[in-house]
Amino acid sequence: MPGVFMKTVKIKKGWQFKIAGKPSQRIKNSPAVSHVASVPDKLPFIRPRLLVQKGDHVLIGSVLFEDKKHPDLKFLSPGCGTISNITYGPRRVLHEIVIELDSNEIFETFEMITDSALDLIERKPLIARLMAGGMWPFVRQLPFRQIANPDFRPNAVWVSLGSADPFQPSSHIYLKDQVGFFEFGIKALSRLTDTVNICRYDNEKSGKNDFDANIVTHRIIGKYPASDPGVVLYHTKKSAAENHDWYIDGQDVIHLGKFLKTGAYPIDRIVSFSDASSDNSCHLKTRMGIRLKGLAPSAINDHSKRWVVGGVLSGYTSAGDEFLDPHQTSVMIMEETNQSELFGFVRPGFKKLSNSRTFLSVISSAPLTINSDMHGEERPCINCGYCASICPVDIMPQFTYRSIYADEIEEALACGLLDCVECGLCSFVCPSKIELSDFLIEAKHRYHKELSQVA
Amino acid sequence: MLNLFEKNLRRFFEKNSIHFTEGGRFYKLRPLFEALETICFTPAIPARRPPFVRDGIDLKRFMSIVLLALMPPLFWGIYNTGYQSLAASGKDLIFPNIIISGLLTVMPLIIVSYAAGFFWEILFAVIRKHPISEGFLVTGLLFPMTLPPSVPLWQVAVGISFGVVIGKEVFGGTGRNIFNPALTARAFLFFAYPARMSGDRVWVAVSDTASSAISAVSGATPLSMSTLAPPFNTIESMLQSAGFTLSTLFVGNYPGSVGGTSALCCLIGALILIITGVASYRIIIGGVAGLLISSFLFNIVSTVPLNAWTDINPLYHLAAGGFAFGIVYMATDPVSAPGTQTSKWVYGFFIGMLTVLIRIFNPAYPEGVMMAILFMNLFAPLFDFIEIRMHVSKRIPNV
Repeated sequence: MPGVFMKTVKIKKGWQFKIAGKPSQRIKNSPAVSHVASVPDKLPFIRPRLLVQKGDHVLIGSVLFEDKKHPDLKFLSPGCGTISNITYGPRRVLHEIVIELDSNEIFETFEMITDSALDLIERKPLIARLMAGGMWPFVRQLPFRQIANPDFRPNAVWVSLGSADPFQPSSHIYLKDQVGFFEFGIKALSRLTDTVNICRYDNEKSGKNDFDANIVTHRIIGKYPASDPGVVLYHTKKSAAENHDWYIDGQDVIHLGKFLKTGAYPIDRIVSFSDASSDNSCHLKTRMGIRLKGLAPSAINDHSKRWVVGGVLSGYTSAGDEFLDPHQTSVMIMEETNQSELFGFVRPGFKKLSNSRTFLSVISSAPLTINSDMHGEERPCINCGYCASICPVDIMPQFTYRSIYADEIEEALACGLLDCVECGLCSFVCPSKIELSDFLIEAKHRYHKELSQVA
Repeated sequence: MLNLFEKNLRRFFEKNSIHFTEGGRFYKLRPLFEALETICFTPAIPARRPPFVRDGIDLKRFMSIVLLALMPPLFWGIYNTGYQSLAASGKDLIFPNIIISGLLTVMPLIIVSYAAGFFWEILFAVIRKHPISEGFLVTGLLFPMTLPPSVPLWQVAVGISFGVVIGKEVFGGTGRNIFNPALTARAFLFFAYPARMSGDRVWVAVSDTASSAISAVSGATPLSMSTLAPPFNTIESMLQSAGFTLSTLFVGNYPGSVGGTSALCCLIGALILIITGVASYRIIIGGVAGLLISSFLFNIVSTVPLNAWTDINPLYHLAAGGFAFGIVYMATDPVSAPGTQTSKWVYGFFIGMLTVLIRIFNPAYPEGVMMAILFMNLFAPLFDFIEIRMHVSKRIPNV
């Protein structure tokens, strides 16, 4: 697609990251590991049907489980070896499928596709191939962020390169030497929909184009979470038909291209790793599904630290002994809250992270060390409007929250509940410590459940 | 030193918390214990749900900034109360005496207000088993600052009780009240005990015997001069001859309510609130604009003055009386103000406009801003409703 007109999307609202421990641009190879795992319970809205059992031998790319609702949707093994353990969480939710790796790993072979064959392939067989090859879970659908519905033809698919969250992998690093696969992946995506929008996030520093600029269609400027496809869509959409667009991360497009071109399930991954207490923060060249502490064997792994996967504002808490969800690409180690603070609320607060201007840390833009503390107790909403002034998609969280609270789901939908990009900023800024984003996300999930029961 | 203090304080709370847990002797008073403990120590509560990092601000910080912004008018109020009181009694105006006299008048008001208010707050917190909210820290100080210094202490207690119970707790407590509790309390006193809340006699704190002895000293406030006395052609000249020049009114060196006389101090407070982002600049600027524009329009329109105040320079409206205090500290209370951005402009503007209307058309209520804010509190939910409707109609639907 040469010579595409590039559109600049400037997003005003959001939050400028001021957190210490940003991963450097250095790439390190993570040490070899003995076990990898697939983590089904982190997949949204999936009911897995297990197709293997303990003791089975699997190859890289063998089917581990499928979705009960869409049996075509397969989830493949990120390693070759023997299944050493299958663990279940509360209510028998399939939690982890752990594979003990062989010393020589073998790939399952899939059909390769050439450049010219890709031009001719129909949409249906291409989707079938991606689903059988375990690539489909990388393609997600707005607004519920579930795995894309293959029977639906969206208006566009949004590819995001780079993130406004500096703790996510940099696109410059994962694109290095992979541009061919990326372009092949884009070509495959363009067989699925009429429009493929490639959004590159630009912060002020990286003004120059080190990557073939004519393939990028949208240049995104703004604070976190400007790079989120939901935010870009909200600021560019012209009709309600676009609400169910698909999206995929740039690194996953490389995977998709690599899978189609080589016929092997790609398991290599660039993961951004951050640990503010050491200077180990960097990008790690690793593989899918490794144990978190395998990323940083020297990191402290006890109750004084918290391991966060997928970004500190919208990810989930994990532990060093847990495995990394193959779809996630960012790991952060942060301080666990430890001791109450004497007269915390009257201190000048030179080192207190805050979006408000009530602490003296506001005068400096230096990054600050964070911990997992709430910094206060929960209180009733006082309608201060901090959430509404930061929400990147203008949903006025305090009022939407109230309509959900009153069980007025229609009102909440009208306020834009489904436009919520689950960025977590409303909960972050709330001085009353109300779990706003969690509450909105829960309501979205309930609504999704209701919709899928109707269908 | 501080470490030792911290260690002992920590030990004190740890040792005594047993009495306030379930089955302990004072379990019912747990909210009080928790309030004291969390004032001393911001508790370490881990974030269980994403985001795992939270903003350093909490309601305690939020309210302390308001208290900080209240300090300039409070200090000025103490000074001015003492000054007016000594001046009226004909005593020496020495600075330490002024401060002592001011403190002796003002501190009892504040202490009674906090004591009576916290009694109700604790009672409701205990019965309804919720933590004591920080909002009262502000209400308890705002209320005495709106009162005439001569008000009897039992009226302070009655007023704040009404404000807390009827103004706030019956609606469900902090965050759910319709009216600003401090203003509700003041309005209650204003209508229940008008003799001690308005008129020329109440604005200077002097003992009754002294005030009858010095009847020559007029305690009239600028706003109560509503009729033109014959030698003067304009209200400005009349005010000036009574000592109320624009600069006096701005600085606030005249008899009036404890904290409300100085527009200058309120301006400092407004700057603190706006710079820290705790109060909405939209409400404050909207209110000032509403006041200036509507009083200016009255200047132009009125050919036959309805009242001496129709023709006055709009700046007098801004500097005189409690408008500055009201618009900065009362109207910006986020709970009773609208939560949407454009509505805040409209809300502020109407408060300014209504203040002028009340001052001009209803000389019985010389202080218009109290009524104006309470009246607009009533409309805040409607403003929000309209703005949300307009906002929703602009969105591309997503269902």
